[in-house]
Amino acid sequence: MLTNKTEALALVLPAAVFAVAVFLIPVCILLSEAFRSDGSWSIAAYVEFFSKPLNQTVFFRTLKLGFLVTAVSAIVGYVAAFCIVGLDPTSRGRIFGLVVLPLMISPVARTYAWIVILGRTGIVNKALTGLGLTDAPVRILFTETAVFIGLLQLFMPLMIISLVSAMENLPRDAISAARVLGASWPQVFIRIILPLTREGLVIGGTLVFTGSLTAYITPAILGGAKVLMLETLLYQRVTVANDFLSASVIAMILIVMSFSTYMLLKRVAASKRGAQP
Amino acid sequence: MSDDYVVLERLKLAYGETVAVHDLDLAITRGELLALLGPSGCGKTTTMRAIAGLLAPAAGRIFIDGADVTYTPPSKRNVGLVFQSYALFPHLSVFENVAFGLRIKREPKPSIDARSRAALATVGLEGFARRNPAELSGGQQQRLALARSLVMEPKLLLLDEPLSNLDARLRLEMRTELQRLQLETGVTMVFVTHDQSEALALADRIVVMKDGIAVQTGTPEEIYNRPRDVFVADFVGFDNILYFRNGMLTSDFGSTDTGEELPGSDALAWRPAEVILGSGPMQGRVIGASFAGQYREYVLDTGLGKIKAQAPADAPPHTIGGLVAFELPLAKAHRLPGTGK
Amino acid sequence: MKRNLWVARIVIFLTLAFLIGPFLIIIAAALSAGSSLAFPPQGFSLRWVIAVFEVKSFRASFGLSMFLAVFGTVASLILGVPAAYAVTRYRIPFGEAVRMAVAAPIIVPGIIVGLALLRYLVIPVGMTVTLALFLAHTALVLPYSVRVVSASLENLRPDIEEAAVLLGCSRFGAFARAVLPNIRGGILAAFILGFVTSFNQVPVSLFLSGPGVRTLPIDMLAYIEMTYDPSVAALSALLAFLSIAIVFAAERFLGLSRYV
Ligand SMILES: Nc1ncnc2c1ncn2[C@@H]1O[C@H](COP(=O)(O)OP(=O)(O)OP(=O)(O)O)[C@@H](O)[C@H]1O
Ligand SMILES: [Mg+2]
Repeated sequence: MLTNKTEALALVLPAAVFAVAVFLIPVCILLSEAFRSDGSWSIAAYVEFFSKPLNQTVFFRTLKLGFLVTAVSAIVGYVAAFCIVGLDPTSRGRIFGLVVLPLMISPVARTYAWIVILGRTGIVNKALTGLGLTDAPVRILFTETAVFIGLLQLFMPLMIISLVSAMENLPRDAISAARVLGASWPQVFIRIILPLTREGLVIGGTLVFTGSLTAYITPAILGGAKVLMLETLLYQRVTVANDFLSASVIAMILIVMSFSTYMLLKRVAASKRGAQP
Repeated sequence: MSDDYVVLERLKLAYGETVAVHDLDLAITRGELLALLGPSGCGKTTTMRAIAGLLAPAAGRIFIDGADVTYTPPSKRNVGLVFQSYALFPHLSVFENVAFGLRIKREPKPSIDARSRAALATVGLEGFARRNPAELSGGQQQRLALARSLVMEPKLLLLDEPLSNLDARLRLEMRTELQRLQLETGVTMVFVTHDQSEALALADRIVVMKDGIAVQTGTPEEIYNRPRDVFVADFVGFDNILYFRNGMLTSDFGSTDTGEELPGSDALAWRPAEVILGSGPMQGRVIGASFAGQYREYVLDTGLGKIKAQAPADAPPHTIGGLVAFELPLAKAHRLPGTGK
Repeated sequence: MKRNLWVARIVIFLTLAFLIGPFLIIIAAALSAGSSLAFPPQGFSLRWVIAVFEVKSFRASFGLSMFLAVFGTVASLILGVPAAYAVTRYRIPFGEAVRMAVAAPIIVPGIIVGLALLRYLVIPVGMTVTLALFLAHTALVLPYSVRVVSASLENLRPDIEEAAVLLGCSRFGAFARAVLPNIRGGILAAFILGFVTSFNQVPVSLFLSGPGVRTLPIDMLAYIEMTYDPSVAALSALLAFLSIAIVFAAERFLGLSRYV
């Protein structure tokens, strides 16, 4: 390690100054806006924001969808990751590539595909009416279900990737050892796989959870004005009503939520490292 | 037949397309200590995994105690397996590793406690109960793996190189411990090793494997004294193997006339101690010499290739580079039937 | 065992069908001859693929998005490579704070960055929207650049620079001759990752649009709200192929996955 401070500072300063000027300062001003009413500090804007039923609905819906998407992608993720890890190395690489692939594709394009599937004349409705299960097309688009499906598809790869790499690092034969000692598959999962992949689960969970909380594209395309989430609400408040106070409040909520999940992630990662010197 | 505790019937084991074990037939007697001996990659671990139920056979059947367990899951077989890689649970303490199986079986708490402590004491790890497995040395980890299986008191204990990482003294202690266990509890044990002296010392019977095939099965005496073929002979210390044909001793490197006549065209084998050094019809150049306590071992470069020989330590040493006369006494040669070239 | 293998295959197939299947449907819908979005497609034609190239606003916004992705990422690398070098090779005062400052754009939702820039730089100072977009995209990509380049610097033994200095190089010369050639792969990986991130970015650019100034994803969102024809499907398919081609080439020639 070099210790020449001037040199080091000269190297980091441009990036740090840029991040502070373009990013930190404007964002902080924006956040502070909700606390300033008529020159004095108060939390009146927050009280008012949460007193409106619509805002409450949107807030809780965002949390609910975040948890649901995280939980379902964890469950599916574990099953999928377990199957993927069991493959031979070549096909494992190929499947892994296919899981990663969607992440490189424009989320607008990825979400748009669901319109073709879930819309009034979409595949699902055609199948339902074709099978005689319903007479009139069912409304799926612009419901929470549609947003849920879209978010799940968007973020599940992140969970699978984290879980696959966690499972690849499971110590050799640990599962076999538990089996021989009499553990059934559910017991193997709870006592061996879960504790040993906890870090991967937390990383994947954080990515999926924060991703879902701060999603804009999916609720915008699949939820519309009917199923607002925090970011679409923010956009609407600003563009429709020029309501920067609400925007500032929502921004704060989003940052607090993502930041606390991020800190949780860091703590879990650190505790894991501390436990095994 | 009722004395056979484990029976493997035409067992074929494969990983995808790669066949690791071909048509293995084996009966393991109740209470016996059987050694699987063979070079790296010959399929020893694979066989053990199949007996434990971790690898479904591609063909054939497995019986334990008379019952067909070919399709029984490992958790229902009540078989102990000490893994070559130990497979300790890194998130559990030493004590919890040992207690794991008992907790799964929902034993009462006091019994779990007492039995786990006893098992740790058996392997000399009583002071380490609260540590992490990662904080143990290689040999301690191996003993922990042993304790974790022993505590379950299985009727069949499979040990995959359980002593490979221990020093000479601990190894002897553990050997004695395993033999005591076998005598006291009558447990049937199969253990894997590629150390022939360990197999000879410990086992009631030895199976020598090569490339997924059981080449020879027999008591230590049989394997040691009457190896069936060149491979087994080489494995149990016959370092000098030559072929006898038309009165000539031949190898890949050359041949020598012995002036004698033996029927057939078998391979002949000598241990280093059986080579007569210092006199005889043949000559070789000393290219290696090492002192081994009771004796000195020499490697000679001869017209028949390399020959290993021994001389008592108190005999005058031969110098490297010098020429030495030697003899391969036909009378002492071990014949390996049916394997001559 | 055989049965388990089949279960595994079915699970994997279903998962992939969920993740990628919609995509295949969009490609099929893009090749439809009909005039509204539908699956199964009504006939086969390239008419909507061709139509994409005729929409004027798409051409402009594609150009802007390309510009932002290329130059924003390059700018982030110009700032990020020295920072990454300092973070991995020096013991910096306030190291953790610096790291946090540089990583912050990952944690803070993009929509807030865009709004903040609009409100405090574009409106009061009169900064052009394009410049604000450029700054925002640079800030957005910066954490990725620092992280990926740091990772490849960490894999490089520090003593090769010392060797270069002992052989007569200046500090900068040692970096240019001994370090840079060895982290080329990492820098390229950072560039591709940054490019894809910036090009596909929506929330940051949401508020930063002016007359005739719109990034491509934003333009697509607006177009979706207006019409229901398959041209956006065709554009989506084209963009997907573009991303896949870039990533595939990068993986093929550089082993991108080693750095990410
Ligand atoms: N998971 C696996 N996938 C594919 N092939 C395998 C696998 N495990 C083992 N093999 C192959 O099967 C053969 C037998 O392996 P096995 O582990 O049984 O050898 P071993 O006799 O235990 O060797 P060692 O003494 O080195 O432990 C080897 O050729 C090995 O390469
Ligand atoms: Mg083995």
